[in-house]
Amino acid sequence: MFYKKIGVAGLAIVLAAGSLLSQAPNKYAFPFSQYKLKNGLQVILSEDDSLPVVSVAVAYRVGSLHELPGKSGLAYLMENMMFSGSADVPPQQHFNNINRVGGKLNASTSEDMSTFYQTVPSNQLALVLWMESDRMRFLEITEDSLEATRKDLLDIMRQRRTADPYLENQFSFDQLLYMDFPYSHPLLGSEDDLRTLTLDDVKNFYATYYVPNNAVLCITGNFNKMKTMELVAKYFETIPRGKDSSFVPAPYKYIKKQVIKTEEDSLALAPAFYMGFRLPLFAPNDIYSLTILDYILMRGRSSRIMRRLLGLDNKIAYQLSGGIEKRRDRCAFKIFVIANNPYWINQCQNAVFSELDKLKTAFPSDAELIKAKNMFKRDYLDRIATTLDKAIFLCEKYIALGNLDAMPLELEKTMKVTNTDVVTVAHRYFTTDNSVILNVRTK
Amino acid sequence: MKKSRVLLGFVLWAVALSLAGQERFRKAPPPPEPRQELKLPSIETSPPLTNGLRVSVIFRDDLPMMILQLIIQGGESSSPERSAGTASFAAHVVTRSTQSRSASDIEEFIESIGGSLSVSTMEDFTLLTFRFLDDYLDQALELLGQMILKPDFSEKAIKSVKSILTLDYLGREKNPEFVAYRHLIRLLFKNHPYEKMGFPREAITNWNQKDLLEFFDRYYRPNNAHLILTGSIPMRMATQKVSRVLNTWQQAELSQKPFPPITPPQKEKICFIDVPLAKYCVIYLGTVFPSDDLDPSSLSVVSQVLGGTMNSRLFMNLRESKGYAYFAFSQAEFSRSGGLFFVRAKVAPEFIYPSVQEILKEIRKITREPIAISEIDQAKSYLIGNFPVAIEQLGVFSEKISEIMAYDRGNDYWNKYYEQILLVSPEKVFTAAQKCFLQPPLVVIAGDKSVLTNRLNEFESIDVYDSKGIRQYTINKEKQ
Repeated sequence: MFYKKIGVAGLAIVLAAGSLLSQAPNKYAFPFSQYKLKNGLQVILSEDDSLPVVSVAVAYRVGSLHELPGKSGLAYLMENMMFSGSADVPPQQHFNNINRVGGKLNASTSEDMSTFYQTVPSNQLALVLWMESDRMRFLEITEDSLEATRKDLLDIMRQRRTADPYLENQFSFDQLLYMDFPYSHPLLGSEDDLRTLTLDDVKNFYATYYVPNNAVLCITGNFNKMKTMELVAKYFETIPRGKDSSFVPAPYKYIKKQVIKTEEDSLALAPAFYMGFRLPLFAPNDIYSLTILDYILMRGRSSRIMRRLLGLDNKIAYQLSGGIEKRRDRCAFKIFVIANNPYWINQCQNAVFSELDKLKTAFPSDAELIKAKNMFKRDYLDRIATTLDKAIFLCEKYIALGNLDAMPLELEKTMKVTNTDVVTVAHRYFTTDNSVILNVRTK
Repeated sequence: MKKSRVLLGFVLWAVALSLAGQERFRKAPPPPEPRQELKLPSIETSPPLTNGLRVSVIFRDDLPMMILQLIIQGGESSSPERSAGTASFAAHVVTRSTQSRSASDIEEFIESIGGSLSVSTMEDFTLLTFRFLDDYLDQALELLGQMILKPDFSEKAIKSVKSILTLDYLGREKNPEFVAYRHLIRLLFKNHPYEKMGFPREAITNWNQKDLLEFFDRYYRPNNAHLILTGSIPMRMATQKVSRVLNTWQQAELSQKPFPPITPPQKEKICFIDVPLAKYCVIYLGTVFPSDDLDPSSLSVVSQVLGGTMNSRLFMNLRESKGYAYFAFSQAEFSRSGGLFFVRAKVAPEFIYPSVQEILKEIRKITREPIAISEIDQAKSYLIGNFPVAIEQLGVFSEKISEIMAYDRGNDYWNKYYEQILLVSPEKVFTAAQKCFLQPPLVVIAGDKSVLTNRLNEFESIDVYDSKGIRQYTINKEKQ
């Protein structure tokens, strides 16, 4: 046991040095401490005794980015397989055990992270750690569980393909925007790949990525820190360290070139378009300025493009969505518009370009800037509202940065963005020759 | 040499034994620690302001946001008979624009304080909920003051709200769950003011300025309202700020006749409503009961056993065992005049008939056979454990607060929750189940008729209704 070796006093010093207060002091910061087990598992603890609840999130640094061509969908399949039982927890029992004590649970997969999380009454913390450690170490991967999961996922894919208009176009658009396979293929993978995934594929994926040295365990809420550290050691420390992942993401080859393509969709009832701009983030603080730009343009009913396309008196679009999207080190601004009728599709597209141009030619007013910042602040605070939100937030930051000591002050930096910063990034990235457009026609 | 081999063997054996011993804890779930005390923020209520407005504060310095809720003691059941839905209409008009701020100004203003505004019209009360960054209480109160004191009841505002709500209803009517629930309300509360909760989309065309003004004039009064602030603000400061903005809000004499008692339908009935192109079909099955008839805690346990979660009887039967349904749950809702207990299930069209039979079977079972103590303990354990997990979410927290305040459940309601659930005995559960289903339940099926026609023929008798709630015809099995 790492911390028993150094003793309680040593532990206190390590924790204090490690980052008892890793965020700069502000009234929204919440304290956390962190340490690493011998097997490489990163542990983050954040106490909050407001209510007798505790949240546990286990995140693995693996997602669709780690899939090879021909093996797409493996990460999402693996997420589902994690509920199919482990050596000491029968299939579906993880869900049942959490449900029985009044808790809630879920999981998610992104391009570079697979997260499993639950909130339970605080007296049930050991139950969660027992189950999470069991599936980290002894997941039962059998032909039967693989076939059952594969069947469920194929059903979902078939349902989506036959019910969701514009879905296939969305996949095409992502390929145009992100270009290379790891970043551009859909999270669910392709049906063909999913059908041909083998038991060995799944076992190898699990053995490679679902290991303590590729994971972070975050516990937030009402718990006793010393007791919790003992529980973590008890359940996780004997899990053997895995091989260190050799995965290295492909270097970003940014190409500035306009792409325009047109596709048809038999499910689409109205014409639509996807528009995107690649954001290679030339300067480190550009992301904060782009975030405020995103709010000015797209967030909330009173944002510029929302008003222009879905205004109370001037509704030319049926649907509008989008904003900044980050896929690990790739960043893009995406807009999706369904026109209100077939004749207004060009009007919608021109309106979007016109709003982008306006942002380059006139500074947003101070009031508009404050509005954007306050909306961002509200959304940021919503991301850390509950113990579960905090646990997921910390896992995401750790996976993205590899080290919470260097956690950027996202809220503070975004609140300092100026009008000039917004106009600067609008000029830098929102140019015609940096745009990618996919027009979708009805069949 | 021999000695060292023996020693090595002993060491290996000891290590193996030690490892096995260490890992033995993995074989079974660890027992829970003792349950921790639930300490909830207290609700402080001031004496009414001079105009009769009650103000309560839930002090929470852990929140970076503030929540401002205004309860008006007049809900859908208070809408005039000739114009059902007027309560909803009033709430939307009041919050959409004021005499000095247009709808888009208000939209922009709320977003500029990092806020959101929602409106809910329940059977007994109307609830306006503002959520905003905690630096902006004065601005939020000022906007609320304008909405209450200078509302915009112009024809333009009325037309705009009617048009938005008509579109909203058109969208909702494509959802079989909405259609089935609305129909269930209409029939279960037939001839009771709560029936107006199920008003049809067509009622919107009848909404008019006169009824709106009358409703507002009668119910939007400070002595008929309760303002609740949740956040980091002391009571004294809260009342000062509220008083400064709303002291000119004029009180009036209130006259609300008590509602007649709720009488459940006397015979089992199965209804169907067509939802063209619906992608799935649903079964809603329910019953109603008078308010003083049932102990809410015991009924919550009944609902938990029957269909509270995916481990409850309905889900385990209809989905896990039979494979008929995507989900099957039950819930109990309590209001001033009585309660509603209902089951909702989303099922595959080919299994509509057996699904209804299985739900009825489960209801018969729970009313005729005592529930095992272990099952009751399990349900109580879920309810107690889930309570803090649920109210950790601000939305659930403020919803619970508004119910406590609107129904005068007492400011220490929070702290009694655990105790009341713990006191529920198997006898109380059995009695609650029997009382709840004293009358046979009503069944509503909603889905695409073209998909379900052959399946509906399997029922002995089924009444077909249109979306306005008017009976069209009856399908009888023997006539096929």
